[in-house]
Amino acid sequence: MTYRSSRSCPLLLAIVLGLGALGAGACKPKSKPAGDRTEILIGGTLPLTGAEARIGGFFKEGYDLALEEINQAGGVEVGGKKLPVKLTLLDDTTNQDTAASLADKLINSDKVDFFLGTYSTALVQRQSTVAEQNKVPYVSGGGAASEIYKRGYKWVFGALAPVELLGTTLMTWIDDQQKAGKLPRPAKVAVLWENSSHGKDFRKGITEYAAKSGGGFEIAVDESFELNGKDYSALLGKVKAAGADIFLADAHLPDYITMHRQYVDAALCHKVVSYGARGSEKAAIEALGKDNTQYVLSGTWWSPLLANTNPLAKKFVEAFKARYAGRTPEWFQALGYEAMRALLVAIQQAGTLDREAVRAKLAALKIESLLPGGTLDFPQDHGGQVQAPFVVQQNAPDGTAPIIYPQSIATAAGTAPDPRCK
Amino acid sequence: MKAPPLIPRALARAFIAICVVLAVLPVLDLSLYTHNLLTRAYILIAAALAWNWMGGFVGQVSFGHAAMFGVGGFVAGRLMLDLHLPPQLCWVIGALAAGAFALGAHPLLRLRGPYFSIATIGIGEASRVVFTYWEKFTGGATGLSLPIDGDFKYQLYWWALGLAAAAAAASVVLRRSSFGLKLLAIKADADAAADVGISATLYQDLIFVLSGAVVGLCGAVSASYYSFIEPNDTFAFERSIAFVLMAVIGGIGTSLGPALGAAVFVLVDTYLLASYPELHLGLYGLLLIAIILFEPLGLTGLVRRVLRNHTQR
Amino acid sequence: MGRLAELVVSAVLLAGLYATMAYGLGLIYGVLRVVNLAHGGVIMTGAYLGWVLFDRLGIDPYLTIPIVLVGGFALGVAMYRVLVRRLPRGAAGGPASLLLLFGVWLVLRNIAYLLFTGNDRTIRTAYSSRSLAVLGTHVSLTRLVVLAIGLVIAVGLHLLLRRTLLGRAIRAVAQNADSCTLVGIDVERIYMLTFGIGTALAGVAGVLLATIFSFNPASGSSELLKSFVVVVLGGLGSISGVVLAALVVAAAEVFAVLILPSYLTTAVGFLLLVLVLVLRPGGLFGHRVLA
Repeated sequence: MTYRSSRSCPLLLAIVLGLGALGAGACKPKSKPAGDRTEILIGGTLPLTGAEARIGGFFKEGYDLALEEINQAGGVEVGGKKLPVKLTLLDDTTNQDTAASLADKLINSDKVDFFLGTYSTALVQRQSTVAEQNKVPYVSGGGAASEIYKRGYKWVFGALAPVELLGTTLMTWIDDQQKAGKLPRPAKVAVLWENSSHGKDFRKGITEYAAKSGGGFEIAVDESFELNGKDYSALLGKVKAAGADIFLADAHLPDYITMHRQYVDAALCHKVVSYGARGSEKAAIEALGKDNTQYVLSGTWWSPLLANTNPLAKKFVEAFKARYAGRTPEWFQALGYEAMRALLVAIQQAGTLDREAVRAKLAALKIESLLPGGTLDFPQDHGGQVQAPFVVQQNAPDGTAPIIYPQSIATAAGTAPDPRCK
Repeated sequence: MKAPPLIPRALARAFIAICVVLAVLPVLDLSLYTHNLLTRAYILIAAALAWNWMGGFVGQVSFGHAAMFGVGGFVAGRLMLDLHLPPQLCWVIGALAAGAFALGAHPLLRLRGPYFSIATIGIGEASRVVFTYWEKFTGGATGLSLPIDGDFKYQLYWWALGLAAAAAAASVVLRRSSFGLKLLAIKADADAAADVGISATLYQDLIFVLSGAVVGLCGAVSASYYSFIEPNDTFAFERSIAFVLMAVIGGIGTSLGPALGAAVFVLVDTYLLASYPELHLGLYGLLLIAIILFEPLGLTGLVRRVLRNHTQR
Repeated sequence: MGRLAELVVSAVLLAGLYATMAYGLGLIYGVLRVVNLAHGGVIMTGAYLGWVLFDRLGIDPYLTIPIVLVGGFALGVAMYRVLVRRLPRGAAGGPASLLLLFGVWLVLRNIAYLLFTGNDRTIRTAYSSRSLAVLGTHVSLTRLVVLAIGLVIAVGLHLLLRRTLLGRAIRAVAQNADSCTLVGIDVERIYMLTFGIGTALAGVAGVLLATIFSFNPASGSSELLKSFVVVVLGGLGSISGVVLAALVVAAAEVFAVLILPSYLTTAVGFLLLVLVLVLRPGGLFGHRVLA
């Protein structure tokens, strides 16, 4: 380099180090105590546009319903006075950077007291660090991977049970069928998972169950695929070549639709087919056709059929139908509703807007819930993630999707193997 | 013979004044949100300026700089997690790794124009896929969660400001040095430059490594800022595009325009995106079209034009 | 043996898709020397146009192709007259044209968001999930139709360029625009028509893709990148090269599944692209311009 440029190198270094050192002594200013409050501010973001727009809208319906109920009752009692609740909800456009920076804005500029997490594991994972950094209670109804809660965070609470448990639950039902002689032993399992924390969790649940099954299940295919993928024919070819009996995939809704369509095209047929949490969605059945989604098994966090056995679920379904022109809610709305409710109950229990007090109440929370299992808590030995059981549903030929597991709340018996496959 | 000063005195004074004002700003009553917003803006300013050394000074438009951003971020993140080195040291090593990665792209440098741009898309996307798969190093789709330290995040403001200031100073110096003139010659006509003894590959190598290292440094600082880094998002094509957008909006090839572009980018993203999320894509699109058709030097060109009209009157 | 046949069939079908996506990009580059970065956006627009005609008017998706051709052609001509015409040509225009057309893509994407929201759409017909047995493997009917239409387009394009006056003019302009002006060919008009044809082809590719995959306004980037790979491999601007290159890329991706985890096969195409650019900048099949 030339004489002149080489002289500028120390200069640049000096700028960086000088300015950096300047800040080294600086400390974060303490936030000032809020004066008399007239409302409770809750902040949140959801993917209202972008890839997960549809589901973001569903969660919003759940929030809105819970909010309406509490505000019609006059709000939450804090310090002997009922305060109305105000939700500031922004659109994170299904983008991680945006989800994080909007959380920063809501917490540090709009000064919200508490935070409701966004939807989909990847976004929650990124966004929850902002809540943890700023010590704001963060309740998520949309982040399911246990990785989110394994980071030792103190301020993050999950109302969605881990996907790992979903894998285990599916395998438990399949195991029962095998014991009943309906499935071969050993059975070859193909596990396909989206390359995300969600998918990795699912895979862990399945593979660990298989490893402990004492030779009952053998993992024949173990492959990941890209989120929002297009062509799965090579992957499905691999599944076909492996001659698997059981096909277990973990995919988000768009990928489920794309992949299952190619599955049908390739004339694949397995004794048991599941796409993890997906399967019974109306959108999927419309896009794929009723015939092609028959007997697909899905494990979800909640089902409107729980209304038969769970009074809170019944109340929720009725209230939802009344507000949204008779539409039946799916698990998205239920979890949005429940996340909001859990936060509000914790505030009420704390009787103050002090974040630390509410955090302590959330950590100790144990309430009756519309979730399967009937209770919601945030056990601290699981990093604050609820461990509620899953409900397993199966698409029936008549277009319904009855609960087939767990036994105590089942509304129909499951079918295995798929009678259409040889 | 006394060489003319690299940085004109008036510019230097204004530069120092701005840095001082920004450096003492947080001591005055600055909300934590604005504090964080500025920190983020500084990181992007530095990255946009560094992108411009390659894309503007040499005219090789890269659509793959997110790869260097990611390499810097993940190397730094890994070191912080596994070896518990001081973050500043991790950043520097991350930057060096990103520079080395850029050097690995050496064979691309004999491509010009659209060929080079397309190849960088290929590199960017391939690294996204490979790094997302490389679980041991990047944590795969789970990413890396770095330790959270509120006070350190607060101090990042000054580090990021220093980084942006150094990148700005370096841009001006680069542009005016004989090195910068050689880059211009390569941009105008690589063959002709070779005829007068300026090796296009050598100089492009140097500038690509420099640009990659600084962008990698930005990636590393940004990993510290977010305390979390995940490959699918860090290596995203959209991120590479953002660098291009910032530089073009501010003025591609000008020495300080990209800084302006990055500032505008952050403002638009923060204020417009929160209110009209459904319009921001189209807005950037129209902005790009308008700039290319009417004012190829972007905001810088606009400012220059206004100044010129003003002085003529 | 069955497995091999299956992979070959997969590769051929995929190649048909890739070639269909790439024609438009290749033609425009070959003649105007402009990389149409809006290509992905046009594909997405074509998909929505087909979907609207199918969903609202009940027209069979494959019968919408003529309408989409006309619509795409009009869009391309408009893009050329309003925007591309004003760009500087040659090396200096490289970055400018990339950025301008990227802007067009963003605008198209935004329009689609506003009109159709971000939800995924699919075109599902009565025969969507029908499949046929080919070489002992099951092949979806829609994919076979898409392959057939892709081949028809290749032949049609070939005839257009070889047998018609317009085609000869296009090839002449591609080889040397300056001397065309001398012999009285209206170069501007040829540029405009070429851009229109290229855009129309991208629109048709969009409809065809929509009958196989689901799509949303953000779709198009992977299609754009794949088209790039194919066009570059085939030598920017050669039609027969495009078909061969599509086969090579598809085969590389499909057969990579034998040795690589399937997740990594996505990277194969991109690495192939970089390798070819560096080793054979003229493409695998020489640098023939529209020959």
